[in-house]
Amino acid sequence: MKKRVKIEDISRRSSQLSTLAKEDFKPLPPPFDKPEATPDFAPLSPAAREKYEGSLDDTIAVSIPKPKSKEEEERLVAGFLSGLEKLFTKENNWTFLQPLLLSMEHCATCHTCSEACHIYEASGHNPIYRPAYRSEVFRRLYKKYVKSKGKLLQAWRDGEIELNWTTVARLAELAYRCNLCRRCAQTCPIGVDNGLIAHEIRKLFSQELGIAARELHDNGSVLQLKVGSSTGMNSLVVKDNIQFIDEEVSEKTGLSIQTPWDKAGADILLIHNAGEIMAWPMNPGAFAVIFEVAGLSWTMSSEIAGYDSINYGLWYDDAQFARVALKHAQAAKKLGVKKIVLGECGHAHKALTVIADRVLTGDLNIPRESSMVLLESLIASGRIKVDPSRNDFPVTLHDPCNLVRLMGVVEPQRRVLRRIAPRFREMEPHGVHNYCCGGGSGFAIMSGHNFADWRCQIAGRKKVEQILNAFKDELDPSIQKYVCAPCSNCKGQLRDLIAYYDLWEKHSIMYDGLVELIVNCMTDVKPGFIEWEQH
Amino acid sequence: METKPLGGKQIEVDEDGFIQDPGAWDEAVAKDLAVTEGVNDMSENHWKVVNYLRNYYLEFQMAPMIRKLCKETGFKLKEIYDMFPSGPAKGACKVAGLPKPTGCV
Repeated sequence: MKKRVKIEDISRRSSQLSTLAKEDFKPLPPPFDKPEATPDFAPLSPAAREKYEGSLDDTIAVSIPKPKSKEEEERLVAGFLSGLEKLFTKENNWTFLQPLLLSMEHCATCHTCSEACHIYEASGHNPIYRPAYRSEVFRRLYKKYVKSKGKLLQAWRDGEIELNWTTVARLAELAYRCNLCRRCAQTCPIGVDNGLIAHEIRKLFSQELGIAARELHDNGSVLQLKVGSSTGMNSLVVKDNIQFIDEEVSEKTGLSIQTPWDKAGADILLIHNAGEIMAWPMNPGAFAVIFEVAGLSWTMSSEIAGYDSINYGLWYDDAQFARVALKHAQAAKKLGVKKIVLGECGHAHKALTVIADRVLTGDLNIPRESSMVLLESLIASGRIKVDPSRNDFPVTLHDPCNLVRLMGVVEPQRRVLRRIAPRFREMEPHGVHNYCCGGGSGFAIMSGHNFADWRCQIAGRKKVEQILNAFKDELDPSIQKYVCAPCSNCKGQLRDLIAYYDLWEKHSIMYDGLVELIVNCMTDVKPGFIEWEQH
Repeated sequence: METKPLGGKQIEVDEDGFIQDPGAWDEAVAKDLAVTEGVNDMSENHWKVVNYLRNYYLEFQMAPMIRKLCKETGFKLKEIYDMFPSGPAKGACKVAGLPKPTGCV
């Protein structure tokens, strides 16, 4: 059972600050309304508990090795303090200092944010998952060690909190119990951004202490900058894979498709999340079909990062973020394209079109556009001809947080769906009030230890509820249903949720992107583009 | 890094049980890795998948696209899940001694 947890409890050494029990989680709609209808939450192995810091809750995201001595603990705490100070200086935090300061100074502890958080709600109101719990711990540390510079009276007024390795290790893990969806920031009456605070804590740990989720750093941005893509594809492999995709879509559509590579002077540089090429190849294939049929001047780039739009730095490290954003812009500059168009990847959208504005100046500030906008214009203008009757099945739309709430790209994809999917229905709530899929901020690719259980049972629970409700009148498995999710990270999470809750076998609920639905109803291609099977 | 007895040797594995040195792989290691994936009996079909993954890896230093795996081996994805319950990336690749797949896959 859940117990009350006070802010200062985070510093008290105990085996675990909080525990999770399936019976506490928010019930799902039928047929998943009993705890026994969902898989069990696997316990952490004794070996993992022995080796890694796992005293927050019942899972581990970051795998921080336990310090071997008191001296090592002290060195890590000192590093945290040094990072904390740097986070509040302009030279070291030119990206987010101002909004961070505002969020540090102005929380009225009204807890409006709590009710907006899908993780807090799904966990059955576990107190440590309140968006403001993490923030308040961090705020007290800021006030005690940065703002008041150790003035005891001030520290006492703000609420005492002890800084020790237990606090630091738990705070690092706690920064990875938030999808950075910022639904809490949207609802805060005074604009406090608890999502930003979680982001800044991750950043402090990565930039000062080298502590970050391995999937995002070592196997993510570091690998991308080294070989060209976080998937490990170098330029030869990616070209080989795209050639395979071209052959597959040519066969499926009856058209002759050849993806152009490194075409200097093309209008558009199209950058996909390279995960699409590896795991959802019909997505880049569908883009190629649409662009070729529409007669666009476009190309892909085989430069380092030029064929992989991911920028995991967005979630944990400003320096890695800037390095990758520069590579993207340089690939476009080298080809002399008029603009970069981003494929179906939410975080890549926000990274390159919004946040990179702080990095790309002068001739690197090449126009960047969402594929949602381009696709809409191709269909609205009639350059792509469609027969909506080919999409005669229930469709709902998942709104990727980065694209929708955090960028305001709300309507283009909906106008496309209203045109091509006669049985389209919205989830509730939707648009800028959507809920995260639970894979946001990198979680979709994090499955160490039992983290996939946490991600599917807690972070993704609200999305499962929304999907079941959107299709509630047509749950019968004889009716095939389509969750349109124009984002690779969201698709990775939806794939796992569908497998975890057996939604394909039980209810014929499948997921894929927007372009697959478009190509499925294009009159220029053979019918039957969508593959109604597990993938 | 943790080590585990696999195929009669002590081999380094990561927290998800993927072996760290692909060079340490042999058929005996694969059989023991299969057991960790709930596969107690490696059939001819299992070996077909594993050998394809292994050969692709030796040529390209990474895992193939899942679609290529299906096309080249002639198995539907569902059949691969039936053989390797954690799927091609987390299950079959592990048995074939490949590192854990990376990126948004």
